[in-house]
Amino acid sequence: MMTALTRYAAPVSGLVAIFGGCELYVRVGDVSPLMLPAPSRIVIHLISNVGFYARNGWVTFAEAMAGFVLALAIALAAATAMAHSRFVERASIPVIVLIQSTPVAVLAPVFLLWFGFSPTPKVLVAMLFAFAPFVSNALTGLRTVDQDTLDVMHSVNASQWEVLRYLRFPNALPGLFSAGRIAVSLALVGAIIGELYGGSTAGLGYQVRIAQSRNFVDELWGSILALAFMGIVLTLAVMSLERRVLRWHSSQTTFPSTNKRV
Amino acid sequence: MAYLSAMRQSPDAPAVLAEDIARTFSDHGHPTRALADVDLQIEAGELVSIIGPSGCGKSTLLRLIGGLIEPSQGCLTVHGQSPKQGRREKRFGFVPQSPALLPWRTVRDNVALLPRLNQGKGRGMVPDHEIDDLLASVGLAQYANSLPLSLSGGMQQRVSLVRAFALQPPVLLMDEPFAALDEITRSEMRFLLLRLWGHTKATVVFVTHSIDEAVLLSDRVVVMTAGPGRVQQELHITLPRPRRHGVQDNRLFHQHTAELRRALNLAVANGSSR
Repeated sequence: MMTALTRYAAPVSGLVAIFGGCELYVRVGDVSPLMLPAPSRIVIHLISNVGFYARNGWVTFAEAMAGFVLALAIALAAATAMAHSRFVERASIPVIVLIQSTPVAVLAPVFLLWFGFSPTPKVLVAMLFAFAPFVSNALTGLRTVDQDTLDVMHSVNASQWEVLRYLRFPNALPGLFSAGRIAVSLALVGAIIGELYGGSTAGLGYQVRIAQSRNFVDELWGSILALAFMGIVLTLAVMSLERRVLRWHSSQTTFPSTNKRV
Repeated sequence: MAYLSAMRQSPDAPAVLAEDIARTFSDHGHPTRALADVDLQIEAGELVSIIGPSGCGKSTLLRLIGGLIEPSQGCLTVHGQSPKQGRREKRFGFVPQSPALLPWRTVRDNVALLPRLNQGKGRGMVPDHEIDDLLASVGLAQYANSLPLSLSGGMQQRVSLVRAFALQPPVLLMDEPFAALDEITRSEMRFLLLRLWGHTKATVVFVTHSIDEAVLLSDRVVVMTAGPGRVQQELHITLPRPRRHGVQDNRLFHQHTAELRRALNLAVANGSSR
């Protein structure tokens, strides 16, 4: 009981302070709801319009996830090619640096121009956002394998595919997961930016845009809160998958056989 | 039984035959000779240690025999075949200095992987009960389903030995496999190796920098000198087998270690005054 209390008390008190502070400020200072509605009002609005937020949230979620998965797949394929060929690596690095250093948000209007009213432009922006962390971590993981282990595999003439499958790919998993934790919220940012630019009829980003132009304060803040919630849930989902998959890795805490804490 | 078929293919060929081999590395564009004029013959079933000061190319020689790198000149055969061919037919078991286990696979799955690789050539799939028997013989029966991270360094190195022996290769190549272990564990590991080897009669090429280890394990010790690496001298170890705990107290053991120490001092002197 005591440990659960101490574990959750601190983070919860932070949230209570910020939302409680807002609530107090709005009520005591008699702030206009147009500027800042009370948090309690937004929460009540959210609960009474669950269907609306679920529908729009689903659209944004699907775009972000498609971008996330696409980014992971392309980054893995690219990193694999780069890990096996110095030429491909040297040819790819300028392109990757270009993607990493361009504020890819500015490509949203271009994708809108190309693909118009469809989820595609949002998925593409989400993909570009999520791509950078994946590709660099994947390449590092595929490359930096233990030399002795590589020697052991070569001593039985393991094929390049076998080395990739049994050594390089699992070796890249920890890096891919830490990239995934960042990439999942970046993909959400990308999808929202895509929606904000237009060319959509649904999605939380679209609702934010509509609410802003029509002074629908409740919808504006409701969408923001829903997005925050989605971001937290997605990050936690990646982390819990990581804990399951990386039980062998030293970043994961306990081992039942020795109860060794690393 | 892979080593029997190897001998059938070339019954008279020695397990390892190196004739005048040399190996040159490029060090920032400057060619550096790691090995020069090395002649070495190892018979099937022999346990031969290679010892020498650091930089004498003993690991290079081991990697050449295993076909992991190729000689710059000279002729090197393993049971009458090229090392590359031997590697293709999975005639080598390689034990590096670190355990080199895959941390995401259980102990049993680590041992089971190598036989499966390279289209299951060599002896092919090793049944689970045989792996478990081998693990039990090195005292790791209850760790078959554990992940390497939960094992101590010595236990991991035992798994690495089991992995090599499970392949039943005709030639075992060991590159200072016990160097990173503490003294007590190291001593245990030496006798463990002798016991495992006693069942197989495989050829073992064992790189070490420990005089005691070389004498305790070997039929023959090859002393190398540095700059570039050459064979300085070969010593036959006449200690009777099987060698068990207490063999270090044997008078013959002390004679051999003294003899080897003198040879090694000479090798170090030769290497520095090239």
